Amino acid sequence: MPVLEINAVSKSYGRIRALDNVSFNIPKGSVFGLLGPNGSGKTTLLSIVLDVLQADGGGYKWFDQPPSYLHRKKIGALLETPNLYHYLTAVQNLRITQSISGRGNEADIHAVLEKVKLHERKNSRFSTYSLGMKQRLAIAAALLGDPSVLVLDEPTNGLDPVGIAEIRDLIKALSDHGHTVIMASHLLDEVEKVCDHVAILKRGKLIASGTVESVLTAEDCIVLNAADQALLQDSIKGYPGLIRTNKSVEGLECYFAKGTSAPDQINRYCFEQGMVLSQIVSKKKRLEEKFFELTAE
Amino acid sequence: MISNIVKTEWLKLKHYKAFWLLLSVTAISYPGINGIAYYAFKDSIDAKSQSGQLVKMLLGNPFAFPQSFHTTAYLSSFFTFIPAIVVIMLVTNEYLFKTHRQNIIDGWKKNTFIWGKFISVVLVTLIVTIFYLAVASFIGVVATKEMSGINVFEKAHYIGLFSLQVFCQLSIAFLLGLLIRKAFIAYGIYIFYSFILENILSGFFRLKSKKWGVDYGHYLPFEISDRLIPLPPSLGKFNAADHQLAVAAINNHVVYTVLLTVFVWLLSFYIFKKRDL
Repeated sequence: MPVLEINAVSKSYGRIRALDNVSFNIPKGSVFGLLGPNGSGKTTLLSIVLDVLQADGGGYKWFDQPPSYLHRKKIGALLETPNLYHYLTAVQNLRITQSISGRGNEADIHAVLEKVKLHERKNSRFSTYSLGMKQRLAIAAALLGDPSVLVLDEPTNGLDPVGIAEIRDLIKALSDHGHTVIMASHLLDEVEKVCDHVAILKRGKLIASGTVESVLTAEDCIVLNAADQALLQDSIKGYPGLIRTNKSVEGLECYFAKGTSAPDQINRYCFEQGMVLSQIVSKKKRLEEKFFELTAE
Repeated sequence: MISNIVKTEWLKLKHYKAFWLLLSVTAISYPGINGIAYYAFKDSIDAKSQSGQLVKMLLGNPFAFPQSFHTTAYLSSFFTFIPAIVVIMLVTNEYLFKTHRQNIIDGWKKNTFIWGKFISVVLVTLIVTIFYLAVASFIGVVATKEMSGINVFEKAHYIGLFSLQVFCQLSIAFLLGLLIRKAFIAYGIYIFYSFILENILSGFFRLKSKKWGVDYGHYLPFEISDRLIPLPPSLGKFNAADHQLAVAAINNHVVYTVLLTVFVWLLSFYIFKKRDL
């Protein structure tokens, strides 16, 4: 049973189509990365499933049930920016979160402040916090009461490198304990390190979704190097099953349908064409590359 | 459920210094305006001059029991704009800090959020009514020379009328804050409309009333509840016919005020439910 089922959700702001018929499921216990360039509709989608915005079409289900405020009480969420009362302290703000959601108790409030390393400033007003501290407090609010599902929109915004690493470890720990984490992020490196599933949006349209492995390895990539790279590119063109080639700093990238590349056969083919390869490497594409490839204009 | 809403709204207000500061200003303004009026009146009747004695003869003592409840309600109602600023601040701050979104994300229904604000407006109305009651009682005790034979609570229904008027006008302030979302624009519109525009419209409709046969000015948003507390009798006697009509219309205006207030809140629930946050 998916934790969240998104079915043909659409949303427009006037003439702008922010989301166009987006559908995908988020499996229970997954760390799900929602990716896309600015304005691709990530925050709009998260806002809809958190009932902050209303979809023009389509729908969604939390825990295989029609959406209800009772579901939101069980979900810890940070949407876009830390939305907290500026004149209240960290503890006072979390008491409001606790009162509305019913998640956690007074001891839990202090525990989550320890977890996000804000305990020393727990009695300082929110307005006196740095951007990173505000973000930590918003994460603390989302973590309060140990919810089984977390929705984190750009959770590392404003955090320093140590803070980013801490959030990464925190998400990994949550995943290890069976929590479902849905995160939207621009930091593809971070997403690749922690997420097991991704969905990529571009101009409101879903262009890829699934496990990170399946999204990244839609094609096999073999990197070849030889003394004469131009000749190598000419020679390989006739290799059966080759989809395309691309010159990179690593060498000549040759793309094949998933599961069809055979380095030994490529090597033999090149040798028969009079080319001696100095390097042949099976390359796993990084999420960042795939993201740029999918979202390129 | 209601206790949870009350608790949450209290957590928001308890440590909100600007809220308590503005209520303190209200607390000062009520004894201020009533005290100034009382001492101005007292000075004139204490004067041995002919005019002083004339004032005493014509006005009686509008600050003594039981008139104290009416006179103080009338004077205090000029300062409803201060708690109105508090109410506008309460709703526009939620938009400013985007906490209205977070309240929904954390598990409140949209209706619950508006119920929370309804309770806050009730709370402000209660506090303001307590200020008024304290001032009316204090001035009444000071100004009444002889308590025996007086029914102190004869005009106590003005306590209810005052609180209904305040609640209605604060509800309009709330709706304005909800619609405008920007604090200073909402304050500006509230002050401009309640102090200037409605008075101009009121005057216009009064002029036209002879021609149209009805004074539509009585049904303007603030005028509807302003007419719950007509001029105190001691001042109203200068235009006795109009004053009697105003007193006779109080019951009707109670109904109009309740209807307007219900409409304002239903509209608030509707707007918040339909609007993207």
